[in-house]
Amino acid sequence: MRLKHLTARVFGNGGMIFAAVAPVLAVLVAFPLLFVILQAVFPDIARGIFANPFSRFVETLFDKHLFHWTLNTLMLGGSVVLVSALVAVPLGVLRGLFRIPFAGLWDVVFLVPFTIPPYIAALGWIMALQPRGYLEQITGINFGGFLFSFWGVVFVMTLNVFPVVYFAVSRMVASIGGRYLEAARVAGCPPMRSFWRITLPLTTPAIAASLLLVFAMAIEEFGTPAALAARSGFLVLVTGIEQRLSDYPIDLPGASLLSVILVLIAMVAFMVQNRIVSRRDFQTVSGKPGAMRPAELGAWRIPVVVFFAVIGFLSAAMPILSVVLTASTRTISGGLAADNFSTDNFAEIFANSGGAMEALGTSLLLGLGAALITGILGTMTAYVVVRQRTVSSRILDFLTLMPNTIPGVVVAVGLILAWNQPWLPITPYNTIGILVLAYCCLLLPYPVRYANAALRQVSVSLEDAARVAGAGGIKVFFRILMPLIFPSILAAMLLVFAVAARELVATILLAPIGTKTVALFIWRQFEQGSVGMGMAMSVMAIAITMTIPVAVAIWARKQGRLF
Amino acid sequence: MKSFKTVLLAGFACLALSGTAMAQSVTVYTAGPGSLIEKLAAGFKDESGIDVNVFQATTGKVMARLEAESSNPMADVVVSASWKTATSFAKKDMLLDYTSANAKNVPDFLKGPGYVAQGISALAIAWNPKSGTPKPEDWTDLTKPEYKDLITMPDPAQSGSAYELVAALTSQPDLGWKLFDGLAANKMIVPGANAQALNPVLQGAKAVVFGAVDYIGLAQAAKGESIEVVFPKSGTVIAPRPMMILKTSAHQDEAKKFIDYVLSDAGQALVAKTQLMPARSDVKADRPLIADLKILEVDPKTDRKAVLDHFAKTFGME
Amino acid sequence: MVSAENSTLQTGSPVIATGVSQRFGSNTVLKTIDLRVAPGEVVALLGPSGCGKTTLLRLLAGLSRPTTGSIHIGDQLVADARGGAFVPPERRSIGMVFQDYALWPHMTVAQNVGFPLEMQGIGRAERDSRIAEALGLVGLGHLADRQPGTLSGGQQQRVALARAIVSRPRLVLFDEPLSNLDRELRESLVVDIASLLRKLGMTAVYVTHDHGEAFAIADRVAILHSGNILQIDAPEQLVGNPSSPIVVDFLKLGLVLPAEVSNGDLVIRGGMHRLSPPAGLVNGSRTGDLFLPRSALVASGTGGGVASGNAISGTVVHSMFRGDGYAVQMRFDHDIALEMFSTTRLGEGTIHDLDISWDRAFWYPHEDVQTHPTHNS
Repeated sequence: MRLKHLTARVFGNGGMIFAAVAPVLAVLVAFPLLFVILQAVFPDIARGIFANPFSRFVETLFDKHLFHWTLNTLMLGGSVVLVSALVAVPLGVLRGLFRIPFAGLWDVVFLVPFTIPPYIAALGWIMALQPRGYLEQITGINFGGFLFSFWGVVFVMTLNVFPVVYFAVSRMVASIGGRYLEAARVAGCPPMRSFWRITLPLTTPAIAASLLLVFAMAIEEFGTPAALAARSGFLVLVTGIEQRLSDYPIDLPGASLLSVILVLIAMVAFMVQNRIVSRRDFQTVSGKPGAMRPAELGAWRIPVVVFFAVIGFLSAAMPILSVVLTASTRTISGGLAADNFSTDNFAEIFANSGGAMEALGTSLLLGLGAALITGILGTMTAYVVVRQRTVSSRILDFLTLMPNTIPGVVVAVGLILAWNQPWLPITPYNTIGILVLAYCCLLLPYPVRYANAALRQVSVSLEDAARVAGAGGIKVFFRILMPLIFPSILAAMLLVFAVAARELVATILLAPIGTKTVALFIWRQFEQGSVGMGMAMSVMAIAITMTIPVAVAIWARKQGRLF
Repeated sequence: MKSFKTVLLAGFACLALSGTAMAQSVTVYTAGPGSLIEKLAAGFKDESGIDVNVFQATTGKVMARLEAESSNPMADVVVSASWKTATSFAKKDMLLDYTSANAKNVPDFLKGPGYVAQGISALAIAWNPKSGTPKPEDWTDLTKPEYKDLITMPDPAQSGSAYELVAALTSQPDLGWKLFDGLAANKMIVPGANAQALNPVLQGAKAVVFGAVDYIGLAQAAKGESIEVVFPKSGTVIAPRPMMILKTSAHQDEAKKFIDYVLSDAGQALVAKTQLMPARSDVKADRPLIADLKILEVDPKTDRKAVLDHFAKTFGME
Repeated sequence: MVSAENSTLQTGSPVIATGVSQRFGSNTVLKTIDLRVAPGEVVALLGPSGCGKTTLLRLLAGLSRPTTGSIHIGDQLVADARGGAFVPPERRSIGMVFQDYALWPHMTVAQNVGFPLEMQGIGRAERDSRIAEALGLVGLGHLADRQPGTLSGGQQQRVALARAIVSRPRLVLFDEPLSNLDRELRESLVVDIASLLRKLGMTAVYVTHDHGEAFAIADRVAILHSGNILQIDAPEQLVGNPSSPIVVDFLKLGLVLPAEVSNGDLVIRGGMHRLSPPAGLVNGSRTGDLFLPRSALVASGTGGGVASGNAISGTVVHSMFRGDGYAVQMRFDHDIALEMFSTTRLGEGTIHDLDISWDRAFWYPHEDVQTHPTHNS
């Protein structure tokens, strides 16, 4: 009891939550990231030696490519953010404000890009659009020139990541509701202007938070730019990191140091986001509940549905179609000839159903575990950040973003350095627990950003009322706040689930011996040259992974809310 | 909240327990191929009753994990795709000096103090016969206009064997960088690691891979893909895949037995089945062997960074 | 320390705040304040926005901590700045009604109301009956299963009221609960709240900026201004004997005219007008404020502004029909305005003389030494 008082006094309101969340984050995020930084500074830290600090700085930082690659990274991040905003903000606003035909379907469809591993999606696009790809085989035209260019990378990456913005914006707009928009209309503001003047500013926290995520993902992603634009000479910072880890002799200090540069870039983006958000804090979920009623689209029904369908086709159907075609042809060089179609690849998966099913089961469990833990932890962190607004809560906030800005492989190295220390009494390393840690560390930013944006809109009086009614900090959190922001949290948790269920980059380095996950299974097929079988496994993994979001969507529909 | 943390800690504790202490086992870190290690592990288990715990990734990732673990090493045996890892590990005194009795028929240049080849791959030209281009016979053929815009190559910055090929070819007095200038003029693309280079050729977007890993191409051809592996007349580089036992291994007896098994008749037959060249010269395989190839040497004093920089500059990859 | 957590009190507890202040950085929101509320008493905190009334209420609720001073609820010391003792709101056994209702949109009406009981660990059956009772008391028994979002503003505030009293707390706090409602609802709800509090014998502190509301509901009303309690008294006492011109001004009780004493006459500041108060009103002071309650001003006819020492003249700005007469807005020198009552419509722009009944006038001297207002009765 005394301790409780003490923490409450030290940390103020939400102190209990802070006291609960800070040590967990320290273990989960700060501990491995500390080792990334140590590795950057002390080249021999892996052997436990703190010798020759900074000895690798000059060589790494004066690499003549560094400036160029940094510029390219910024350009790529900025372009993906821009195009994602152009696509996802209108989609999200429409979804939040209007009764969209097949609304639940679109939510599910826009989750699909997250279940497709980026390297599979990139390969799918290549096989569809390159010269003699599937599109040319069917229609006689190819878009190889576009695909293998800077804008091709932006295009593919945007289609992979825009759902982050879509879900954040649609949840936020729905929770704000149309009443502010109606008020503007009544005040004589035409619809489009009301959107620009009212809806968009009110949604800024969600837009800014989700675009920050997009930026972090874009500067950290390796597979897509490497597969699509490296051949046209467009290289980014992650290229340099990957090169340092791709062949012997590997250069862990150099890779870590370049990752620190990525973190610094992200830090600037984070501060920009904070400035934007802190100037616009809107509490739109007040204690005066109003009934929520989406508006009718009227004559715009058809164009809006077409818009949703086009984006859905490009982001979900197109890559999957290409993946399915590859999976159901015997040889790639045989193309789409009638005699080349076969179910061999699927048959082989079923023949090895033990291994494949085991991998699927492990991945689903890992996905669920990561979603659950990050959902709770992320919301608690966001609570501390939103309600406390102290320097320490800011640090906590950035801490949760950092792993997202570092390539997964470097985070994985940090996790090994941290958790394979001989002095640790117990360690999750070499158990499946290290994968849970890795996914939580990498994916915590989603729930944190989503909950942060949602919590900013919840009136403090709703919490005060619960405290006065006799609920302690933890109860207020779980009984009042969690349910209020649940749609946002659930959307974030589904994203976490989808990503964790197919994560490869960190998994490949961290997987405990003998553990099979879907991504590892697929990767091994590719590595053995069985592109078709890897694709067949992807198809099945995507299908099975999607059952959970679909179930959630159906359940949410019955509950009469957005998922 | 306390209970939440307790559950978390308890969970870790369980996991930690379940992960440790496996009796009679050997842990192998391997750069693949995956199907080979699976078969080797199964065969070894049948023969000796010892479990093989496998960590399989690319050479880079295997080395990254080894390096990150160096304060508390986990691996007993390492199988790499890069010969240089073995020589430099040996120099750093990281390897257990062990020569398997079965290594008797492994040529001397494929073994050293503490390391021995598991199998060997070579680099070759992988050509798609359906591409409508003439079948190339040698590296220099690919600078001909018939192949313009139709060549890919694995990135030497990401693939050790591709680097060796570049280093070996450019040090040929009659070739120098002229060959690669010609390839650049023919708009050869360098789309990434080995798989990324092969894929466009399979689908027909490109016609030919310059420096494809032979066993992957041979395996694709065996699967019915339209691909032909051509070993150039003027010679090529080979990439022996070294096996080694780490000094830190806590299961050295099991590790030695594993090396013995890989070099046994049964083990080498499995190597041959994956289209790699067996390390033992007395084991037959259904493909060209070292004796059939002209092998180009790489001067170990070559400046790797300078070669990579020159290559990147030639192909506009800066 | 008495734990009131599990006992349901039939009557409210006393509340004693001693030397309580609150500072945020260099900004003092509440100066050192003493407040005593008797068991079962309803005290209204009345003042303009920014006067510190909500701050004081949040200190009582435990939603913030005092910079100095201590607070007792019943026998329990709930906050003590010096000793560091602090009881968080959830363990103070209080109820509270918020300005924005603070109903939880994801719970039904019954779940909202039942929440405090649930937090006390009261079983389902008893909870249900007490929810029904509380909703019955506010006349919403039939809406138990509705979502709060589907209710009107007045209904929502009744639900909030039911939630605040359902656990029979020893103290109920009201934070401008009616300011979001229209006048008619406000007037009917204020009566309902007052009678409910009396019926249940609850101690209550009620924050408002509307003096009509405060007078209707409170046993005593505290007037707050810039972080100070200026006066705390029964409503009648407050109106009949305001302690300072600020109180008069805030309650709109009549005219306050700053004046100087000159040869026994009062010169209204900035004007030439001289008034002749009876000896003894100004009592030797040199400057001060003259307070003339409405009842001290009697219209004597339209004059040309020819003032005597016992009358002042004002200009009619506006006349508004009020059903039983006219509310007349009058303007005096220095833009001092006052709303008067008249049985006839007075033409806009006309000037009227008002006779002063000196026996009802007050004089607030300006001296540094705090002296009590003089009143010549």
